[in-house]
Amino acid sequence: MDRRSFVKTCAGTAIAAACWRGHPALAAAMADHPPARLVNADGSPLKAADVTTTEALVFAYPYRGIPCFLINLGGRAAHPTALASPEDGDYTSPAGAGPHANLVACVAICMHQLSYPTPDYSAIRYAASGSPLTDAPGLIVCCTHGSVYDPATGAARVAGPAPNALLPARLAWDAESDGLIATGCVGDKFFARFFDAYKSDLIDRFGPGGYRQPVGETAVAIPLSRYSAAVSTC
Amino acid sequence: MTHEIDRRHFLKMSSTVLAAAPAVLATGPAALAAGAAQPASDKQGAPFVSTHRMLDLPKARGPRLVIIGGGTSGLTIAKYAKKAYPKFDVVLVEKRCMYSSCFASNLWYPGIIDLEFLADHSFLDAAHNSDYIYVNATCIGLDRASRTVATNEGDIKYDFLVIAPGISYDYDKIGVHDIDTKVALRQTYPGGFICPTEHVTIHRKVRQFEGGVFIQTVPSGNYRCLPAPYERACLIASVIKHNKLKGKVVVLDANPEITIKAPGFHAAFDELYKGIIEWHPTSAVTGVDVAQRTVHTEFDSYKFDDAAIYPNIRAATLIEELGLMAPPTKSNQKEANIDIRFYNLIGDEHVYVTGDSRPMPYSKSGNTSNSEGHYVAKVLAARAQGKDITWTSPQTLCYSMVDAFPKQAIWVDTYYGYDATKDAITGFKDTKVDNTRSEANGATYLEWAHGLYRDMFKA
Repeated sequence: MDRRSFVKTCAGTAIAAACWRGHPALAAAMADHPPARLVNADGSPLKAADVTTTEALVFAYPYRGIPCFLINLGGRAAHPTALASPEDGDYTSPAGAGPHANLVACVAICMHQLSYPTPDYSAIRYAASGSPLTDAPGLIVCCTHGSVYDPATGAARVAGPAPNALLPARLAWDAESDGLIATGCVGDKFFARFFDAYKSDLIDRFGPGGYRQPVGETAVAIPLSRYSAAVSTC
Repeated sequence: MTHEIDRRHFLKMSSTVLAAAPAVLATGPAALAAGAAQPASDKQGAPFVSTHRMLDLPKARGPRLVIIGGGTSGLTIAKYAKKAYPKFDVVLVEKRCMYSSCFASNLWYPGIIDLEFLADHSFLDAAHNSDYIYVNATCIGLDRASRTVATNEGDIKYDFLVIAPGISYDYDKIGVHDIDTKVALRQTYPGGFICPTEHVTIHRKVRQFEGGVFIQTVPSGNYRCLPAPYERACLIASVIKHNKLKGKVVVLDANPEITIKAPGFHAAFDELYKGIIEWHPTSAVTGVDVAQRTVHTEFDSYKFDDAAIYPNIRAATLIEELGLMAPPTKSNQKEANIDIRFYNLIGDEHVYVTGDSRPMPYSKSGNTSNSEGHYVAKVLAARAQGKDITWTSPQTLCYSMVDAFPKQAIWVDTYYGYDATKDAITGFKDTKVDNTRSEANGATYLEWAHGLYRDMFKA
C-alpha cells in the first residue's frame, strides 16, 4: 500500500470512527484493525466492479486464520442491523460499501458449530440463487446443521440452530481506484475460541502462531469455488 | 434433488418413530405382557446402594449439577448448562476413561474415517475447556430424599442431577431368552450401537470378510439411529463390491418398510448393490442358533458366515436399577418416567433424564441428543434461578453414507411438534430430506460429525 492510499484509508476509518461516537454500543463492539486492501490472486487490486453476484469471495481478515466472505448483494441493499454476539457484545452491522452500497463482508465461520471454508472443503456458502435449505435466494447457508443467514441484514440468523448472526467485517471503498479495504470487524473473543477449537488444524496449515498473525497490507480475495476444492450443495 | 417431504413419506416416517410412543402402542398387549413379567415398580423403593463415603471433590462453588453419562447428551449439557448459568458447579460422571463416538462409527468400517476421527476427543479437555469436573466413575445408586448419587468411587451430593446413560440391548424381544445365547450374541455378533469395543469387533469383521453371507438385522421399535443398520449394510456391500468378493449382505428387517430415508436407501440397494444386498422386510428375528450360525424369522431361517445382530433396545438398565422407569403404558422400552417437555422425573424437579433413555418418540440419534442438550441446559439454568422456560424441539439432522467408493450420502433434517391438549409429542415437523446421494453430502456428513465433536469438547 502506498502512502497516498494509506492516508486515504486512515481518513476513511477516522471518519467512520467519528460517526460511531454517537453509538456507544457499536463503538464498543466494532474493533478497528489495520486496514488491508483486497487483491486478486495475482496481486492486482480487486475492484468493486469485479465482485461477482453469483458467489462469495473469500479473504482472510483481520488474522491469517480468519476467513471472511465478501458478498455482492446485487440489486438488494444492505440494512445496518442491531445485533448481538454472546461473546463480543452488541453491535450494528455496517452499511454496504462500493458505488452501489451493496458490498458486504462477514466472518465466514458458522456461529453454530464453527464450520468454515478450508482449501479442501466448505460446508458454508453464499447461495446466490437459493438452496434446498431455504426458498429465498441470496442467503448464506451452512449445510453442516442447516443454519441460514441473511447477508443483507448483517448476516442475521434466519433459520436453523445457529444462536446468532455471522460476525461482520467492515469495508471501505476507495472511489478513485474502485478498490476495497477491510478496516475492522467484530469478534476478537470469538476468534480466540475459534483458534482454540481448530488449533491443531491451523498449526498444520499456517505454522505455529501463523493463524494469529495480522493479514498485512493486502488480503487475497478469491471466489469460494476456487478457494475450496469442494463446496456443499445443500 | 432435495424437496420438502411429501405427506406420504411423512406418514411413513412418523408411523415408524411414533410406533414406540405410548399413544400408539401397536404392540400394546405384548408390551404389557413384558411389563407384567418385570413390573416397573420392581425397583421402586429399593435400598439405596452407597459407598458410605463422599467422592473426593472440591467444595461446590454454586448449585451442584451432577451429570451421569458422558455421551452426546451428558457432554452437551455439562458444557452448556455452565454457559447458561455460570454459577453451576458441574460434575460429569462417566464410566469410560476413553471417549469414542457411536455416531459416525459406521464410517470406520469401509475406511472412510479412522478410529482417531471417532476417539481423538478427551473428556479431560472437554472439562477443562468448559470449566467443569470430569470424574471417571460408574453410577451405582441414587437417594433422592438426601439428593445423593452414589458412584463406585464415592457418593456425591447434588442440587440438580441429570442421568443420561443411553441404551441397553433387549435380546428377549428378538426371541433370545436363554443366557448362553445372549452372551454369545453380545460377544460374537454385537449390534455395534453401544460400546466402542463393539465397533472394533465389527471393524475387524468387515476388514476380514472374504465372502459369503453377512447378516445385518434391523429391530422394531424406536431403536437407536434409525438409518444406521441400512447405512451399515450399504457400506459393507460397498466393500464387497470394491474388493470383488463373492458375498452378500442379507438385511433382516423387522419393519415392513425401510424406517427412514427409504427412497435413498432403495435407490442405493437397487442401483449400487443389486445382487449384493438382499433386503427382507417384515422379517423380525425370532431366534438365533449361534452354533449353527442361523437366524430364524417367523417364516424362514438364514445361514450366515458373519453377522451383526442388532436386537431391540431399551433405556439403559441403570434407569430400571434406580427405580426411574416409566410404566409400560408410557414406554414400552423401559424408558424413564419424565415430563416430556422439561425432562424432570415426574414429581422431582431436581432429577432429569435425557438422551436415549427418554420416553419421547424422538429419533435416538447424536444430533437429537446434542440439540436436546442445548435446550435441557437452559431448562436447568431456568430451574436453578426459579424461572420458567418455553419448550423447544430438538433437531434430528441425520446423514447416511450409502457408498464408500466414492463417499456419497443422503440426509434428513426434522424437528418435532408438541400438542398441549394431549401433552404429547406429535411427530415430525419442518422436515427436509435429500434422498439423492452425492459426494457433496458425503463431505458434509464428515463436517457434521466434526461439528458435534467441537460442540462437546471445545470451549
